[in-house]
Amino acid sequence: MTILVAEDDMIMLKTIEFRLKKDGHTVITSQDGREALRKIEEVSPELIITDIMMPFASGLEIVEAVKKREGKKIPVIVLSSMGQENVVLEAFQLGADDFITKPFSPNELSVRVKRYVQDFVQI
Amino acid sequence: MQGYNLPGFLMINAYQFINIIYALLVLMILLFSFILCFTFYKRKIDRDKKIWQQDIAEMISQAIFQDDEEEESADISTRVKKLLKNLSFRNYMIDELIQTKKNLSGSSNGNIKKLYELLELDKDSFKRLLKPKWHFKARGIQELGVMEQIKYEKDIFKLANNENELVRNEMQCALVSFYGFSGLRFLDVTEYPISQWQQIQLLNNLNQVQPENFDDIKKWLQSSNESVVVFSLKLAALYNCYDVYNNVIDCLQRPGILVKTNALEYLKKMPQDGTSEHFVNHYTAENKSYNLSVIRALKDIGTEQEINFLLKKLHDNDDDIKAAAAKSLSCLHPLGISFLQTYLFADENPWKAIFLQITNERAA
Repeated sequence: MTILVAEDDMIMLKTIEFRLKKDGHTVITSQDGREALRKIEEVSPELIITDIMMPFASGLEIVEAVKKREGKKIPVIVLSSMGQENVVLEAFQLGADDFITKPFSPNELSVRVKRYVQDFVQI
Repeated sequence: MQGYNLPGFLMINAYQFINIIYALLVLMILLFSFILCFTFYKRKIDRDKKIWQQDIAEMISQAIFQDDEEEESADISTRVKKLLKNLSFRNYMIDELIQTKKNLSGSSNGNIKKLYELLELDKDSFKRLLKPKWHFKARGIQELGVMEQIKYEKDIFKLANNENELVRNEMQCALVSFYGFSGLRFLDVTEYPISQWQQIQLLNNLNQVQPENFDDIKKWLQSSNESVVVFSLKLAALYNCYDVYNNVIDCLQRPGILVKTNALEYLKKMPQDGTSEHFVNHYTAENKSYNLSVIRALKDIGTEQEINFLLKKLHDNDDDIKAAAAKSLSCLHPLGISFLQTYLFADENPWKAIFLQITNERAA
């Protein structure tokens, strides 16, 4: 499964990348929102994991753009920090499929991703 | 030498004028050089950080997934070993490790702690703790606290009565992060007041650990430090400590209004027979907000025995007290809300307005 991870914190980005690669996924990374939007058009990933606060384009803009896209629907998991409940609600209203609040365990993320892998395999 | 046509104290000759211009120029050059040097330094640090970021990200993400049986130092490259001799790199590394520890949970946190110890960064944090300036101390304690470095507990505890509030706050948070509820033993010795904000912070930190060991609350409720008593009352109310009821009743006699108000909150939450009687007995004319709290509390836990007390309060000089008493009476009086209509002055203001407000509130 090809997963695009958008996160401006390089350590978190590497950590998520490391974990997902360990699970056998192909991981494409991006440290800002604008680059993420460009890569989505180029690669058309099967799943997107995005942080909310990012330079140039926020996670919410990514969710909005992905959900407006024609063709195959790409699920989006939003990474939020504690106290960002309103933003998470906004993300859901825009069409986000799931969210994970920081601090989170990389293993928890792995399990959540597996759910989408099953859906992906069924399709 | 001819003087310039300047007012009084600004009269200077050409020689002095040149000197002033010269001094100003030197100052400008110095200032410009300082700004230039600072900008270069800042850029160098930013550039270095960008280069280091890649190394640090690689090392931390690998350490997070490192299994226990793997050799500990396997992932520290020669390049990083060299970089570790640079103090700026070490400080940056500590910042990144702390940030990552805050973002992750579960077993990953243990591995971050291991990496911090493996790189001997705890020694850097400890050195900061020993520095005389408060901001170094506070930062050092915070780092050791987040990284759960219990071995430095004694040195951290020594700062329990440091004159700087932020140092004390960090010390308190560190002890709670080490030992949970048992870490509250700093309440035995603290001489300075604990701010309301810090109390919220501590309660928030305690919320993340298993509740245990409430034995000392009775002792803290008798502390001469008023903020310790207030914090203990908050703890007792939050964690439903029924066995300190009598100690809390004693707190109603203390002079501090914050102590009395927090005791009231506890008693409102865990009333026993006669609690409302204690409220009435300790009603004082000193503080309006406390008195209002007492009258409002009677609405929830009062009995018919307090009706006479509340009827007297209807004649208080303060309209807020009158209104609160009327509201409580509408709940406690055997006639309920109908008593308002039977009251002697029901058609006169302010009672007319107060009763109308209560009726509207009830209807809503």
